[in-house]
Amino acid sequence: MGTNEQPTLILKDIHKSFGKNKVLNGISIEVNKGELVTFVGPSGCGKTTLLRIIGGFTEHDSGEVILDGRSIGHLPPNLRDTRICFQNYALFPHLTVGENLAYGLKVKKWDKKKIRERVDELLTLVQLEGFKDRMIDKMSGGQQQRVAFARALAFSPKVLLLDEPISNLDANLRVLMRDEIRRLQTELSITTVFVTHDQYEAMAISDKIVVLSDGYIQQVGSPIEIYDHPVNEFIASFVGYVNFLPAKIDSIIKETDAAVVSTEYGKLEIDIEQTEFAPGTEVLLVIRPETLKIAPSNGTVTTQNVVQGTLRRYIYSGALAKCHVVLGNDKEVIVDIQDPRDHVPLRENEKVDVTVSRNVHVLKKRA
Amino acid sequence: MKAKLSLAVLVIFSIMVVGGSVYAADEITAYMGTSPDNNIAIVDYIKKKTGIHIKQTFQSFGEIEAKVKAEAPNFNADMCLGVGSPLTFMAKKNKWAGPYKSSDWLGIGKVFVDPEGYWYNIGNFSFVLVGNKDALAKKGYTLPTSWQELLDPKWKGEIVMASPLSSGTANMIRFAFLALYGDDGGWDFLQKLDKNIHHYTRSGNAPTDLVGRGEFMLGITSDENVKNRLDQGYPLVWGVPQEGIGYDGTFAFIFSTTKGKQLSLCQKVMDALGDQELSDIMAGIGYMSPRPAANKLYGAMTPKYIDLDLGKAAEERPKNNDIWKSKFRVTYK
Amino acid sequence: MAATATLYHAQLTGWERIKEFFNAKFINILALSLFLLLAVFLLFPIFAVLVKSFQGPEGFTLAHYENFFTHAYFFQSLYNTLLLGLINTIICVGVGFCFAYMTTRGPMALRKPLKIVAMIPLIAPPYLFALSLIILFGRVGLITKTFGVNWEIYGFDGVVIAQTLAFIPLAFLMLENNIKSLNPNLEESAYDMGATEGTIIRTITLPLLAPGLLKAALLVFVMTIAEFGNAAVLGGRVPFLAPDTYTMIVGEADFSMGSVLSVMLIMPCIMIFIAHNYLLKGKKFTTIEGKPIASEPRKMSPFVKVPFITVTFLFGFTIFICFAVVILAAFVNILGVRNEFVMRHIMDFRSNMAIWNSIRVSFIAALVGGIIGTLLSYVIVRGKFVGRNLIEMISLSGFALPGTVIGVGYLIAFASPPMKLTGGIMILALNCVFRFLAVGVEAGITKLHQINIEIEEASWDMGATFFTTFRRIVLPIMFPAFIAGFIYTFMTAMVSLSAIVFLVSPGYELAAVTIFDAAAYGKIGLASATTLKMIMVVILCMIVLNLLTKFTNLDIERKGGAA
Repeated sequence: MGTNEQPTLILKDIHKSFGKNKVLNGISIEVNKGELVTFVGPSGCGKTTLLRIIGGFTEHDSGEVILDGRSIGHLPPNLRDTRICFQNYALFPHLTVGENLAYGLKVKKWDKKKIRERVDELLTLVQLEGFKDRMIDKMSGGQQQRVAFARALAFSPKVLLLDEPISNLDANLRVLMRDEIRRLQTELSITTVFVTHDQYEAMAISDKIVVLSDGYIQQVGSPIEIYDHPVNEFIASFVGYVNFLPAKIDSIIKETDAAVVSTEYGKLEIDIEQTEFAPGTEVLLVIRPETLKIAPSNGTVTTQNVVQGTLRRYIYSGALAKCHVVLGNDKEVIVDIQDPRDHVPLRENEKVDVTVSRNVHVLKKRA
Repeated sequence: MKAKLSLAVLVIFSIMVVGGSVYAADEITAYMGTSPDNNIAIVDYIKKKTGIHIKQTFQSFGEIEAKVKAEAPNFNADMCLGVGSPLTFMAKKNKWAGPYKSSDWLGIGKVFVDPEGYWYNIGNFSFVLVGNKDALAKKGYTLPTSWQELLDPKWKGEIVMASPLSSGTANMIRFAFLALYGDDGGWDFLQKLDKNIHHYTRSGNAPTDLVGRGEFMLGITSDENVKNRLDQGYPLVWGVPQEGIGYDGTFAFIFSTTKGKQLSLCQKVMDALGDQELSDIMAGIGYMSPRPAANKLYGAMTPKYIDLDLGKAAEERPKNNDIWKSKFRVTYK
Repeated sequence: MAATATLYHAQLTGWERIKEFFNAKFINILALSLFLLLAVFLLFPIFAVLVKSFQGPEGFTLAHYENFFTHAYFFQSLYNTLLLGLINTIICVGVGFCFAYMTTRGPMALRKPLKIVAMIPLIAPPYLFALSLIILFGRVGLITKTFGVNWEIYGFDGVVIAQTLAFIPLAFLMLENNIKSLNPNLEESAYDMGATEGTIIRTITLPLLAPGLLKAALLVFVMTIAEFGNAAVLGGRVPFLAPDTYTMIVGEADFSMGSVLSVMLIMPCIMIFIAHNYLLKGKKFTTIEGKPIASEPRKMSPFVKVPFITVTFLFGFTIFICFAVVILAAFVNILGVRNEFVMRHIMDFRSNMAIWNSIRVSFIAALVGGIIGTLLSYVIVRGKFVGRNLIEMISLSGFALPGTVIGVGYLIAFASPPMKLTGGIMILALNCVFRFLAVGVEAGITKLHQINIEIEEASWDMGATFFTTFRRIVLPIMFPAFIAGFIYTFMTAMVSLSAIVFLVSPGYELAAVTIFDAAAYGKIGLASATTLKMIMVVILCMIVLNLLTKFTNLDIERKGGAA
């Protein structure tokens, strides 16, 4: 991907406020050619505003928007090589599917024959052949989504902007459309910026994820980096559930890149890549529920990396079972059991042993 | 709690608004067709003299005539106070008016009192020619002294008068010219005059104000507001052309449908109208009053009057209206 | 309730059965009573006009129509009226659109001021502009004198200008409402695909606004040809149907010809109303569900911005000047003659009674109209009976009925016993109620469509009777619609002239009529002063109304939201 080539889209120190309300505080992002970058964050984090700034619908206060080496921050949307697809699709209700697809081409004064060919091409692309003369309100939600997507692709834009494009669909359809968007995007190799509030969607679709909160970038990274190596508590808990366990570094074992930490519930030995932790540092262990293992307790703890607790609740949901375990007096952790049918039976309100894997992410504890 | 309180305020306010003013004990409703100012002067006088309040709204003679005709026999008023001869004579003929012999009008002549008591005339008024002093001076014109001068093309679009369809004054003007020049000559004169008329106003008094403010140079208008506007400082000149002017009465009558207490109130009002004091008020405005009083407009001069048969005028009004419409409502260029 | 309970104590089961019956059939009973009201106070007067126009001394006759069609004068009058309506509609809708676009899509700083300017004329009688034009362009007008302009304001041009200025707010209000419910993303999408702002307006905004434009056009057309104040004051000798009808009825008591003119006036309106209903069938682009989205100000392209700003500033400035000179004229002794500052017009308290009457009439009309409108919309949306569409069409037809015609109709229909209403205050109020009903009904229908019927069903489910549900659930939800109907009726009733001028009677003088008389009379000072006082009163009433709704916790948004 982005080797020596310069990034397709560069945002440099973008600031924006609405009245007294500061929405974006110096955002800098690079998007490489063919990449799908997702802006994700809770509502009000500024992700849609940022997208609208790239599209030219909202004026930023300061900073630069650079597309293919050219600063485009001052251009109106109709002069930018970006194409947006709104959350509500914004399909023109007084036009047919075909007319919707042809709208931009007509505006750009393409000749009739070329327009017709392109429209047919687009319809094939999103598998809507034969729907050309339908009115928009006669199409289902999923079909409307496809039309909107196809319309945005009409010109092969340099950057495609998708503003929560599938959030209006129901759960099953959402997954299907998500995969299809990803498929078309990679196939056509379109540089894409995708906005969503759904972290799982972001994980599933992106090359790169930008996590925003309160107008600041919290972290930029691949889905794996974001999930496994969150830089702070916010990121860690934003993507999926996480158990936080306060601990203190006892000693570092250089040869194996391991560390021994002590928690309120016992000592643990974990792998540690970060080198900034000296013995004595207060840290927070970030433990994903699926990395924990659980078994009925036989009374005494002998094995390494095992802490003892009480199973408070056991929630079965088919592929997964969630165990709420109380450590010590009131520290609740959640343990996921994959394929619970094969697991040893557990009973609520009985003692259990929880095994912590060595593969634990460590955050420095905030003062 | 606050909500309940505010709601209570709202309810009380609603009742107040819907309920309206408390019905005054002695109150009558009258159609009054003199100018708005003069209506008020008469209402105030009656209130002071008798304590009776008159509910009224301004309408011109012609409009009241139309209203009464339309409402008959379900009149929405107790009496008419200040209406023209066409309506009055019609009301007597159709018995819309009821007779009442007022002792306070004793000794006043036939022009002002119906011998059978169906109507009383509180003052004769006329029409005069008015001009805007400044506008005339600017052009170097003087106020015409003969009606014929009005036909001069130099006045084109500069003369206003009321429409005889809605105004009693204009009806009087029309009939006066028909009486002066004979039927054919009269219509001929009116048709020629029409070419110079800017437009016909609704009310016979309107030309006084329009000319006074300088919107138009000349007006043929009722004399009842002229004195008042001169006093207010309007740059008006007025005159009685040599051929003379017409006149009409300002009549009062009680509807035959008025009964009981309302009737006795109306009769009290009628009595008060026969008083010297009202004659003084009317003459002060410029009317020729029933009882001798100093006329503030004409002074000691008695203007030259065109000989009129008011009865005939009333009778021929509908016919003349039709001729008028056929002549002056042909096309618009 | 307590009193009736004891009364019927002996035959409790009977009373209960009655109660049961009412509970079950309430909506039908309500619908029937409302229909009767509509029939008596809206259809019957129109019908009476129609009958009158065919009535001769010996029964049925076509003589009056013959009279109409054989006289060039009447034809000229009809032609002028239609031409005036057409020109006015085009200008008002065009300018109204410019204003609406600027206040919803334009720069933030301009939105509020432009909106205020565009709404100002609503608080004054429409013929205020005749007054202003005389003050400015009359033969001794300010502009005529200062600049020596010799432009004849009396005539067709003057009427067109005055009517246009008077009805821009109406077009603006309708269109603004429509643009607000237009999803800005649609226009942004077109923008994104390379369209320029001009192209977007032409290909997206206007086509989507078509229903709103059509409706605004209908409303402006009807109002223009019916409100005759401007034409009567400025028309000079140019005939128009509405003032002619007025002269026919009020001046000559010629009800036959008056009725014929009324029928001529109502014909084009009804034709447009039907065409409008037909054209809009199944063509409503509601692009936003629920609440309107405020659009971000967009960087307008100069090709759009310059003309739009020019148009809005030009008309805004003119409207502003017109109001300013009327306020000024209220303090001038004799305008153009003795230009000295006086308080005597303002201190002339005779017009106060008329203003007080106007408030009373408008308040009664607004209250009754708000209630009937709310109930009607409920019946229309929730009822399940034959003739529902008919009721809907009748109650919305107020949009298409010229006030002049309704005025004449009331005068004919309610002049004699047993339904004698003339000569009182109620005829004035009722006339306003049914003429301005449509706005409240429409607001109610929109509101009800937004609310799921399940809310009511839930209430029944929990054991509430129909009445309890209605009082506890439906009425609070409908309250904003009631307020909308109330405010519209109040404002319009305060300033409208065309119908009530036929119905005023001694003691029940109304401000609008007083001002009209004074203006026709040439008493600029008095007319201006009364107008000024009336404007103040309207503003004051609006403020009081706003405060009351706030204090009574009947706040529109909250009630709507909580539901």
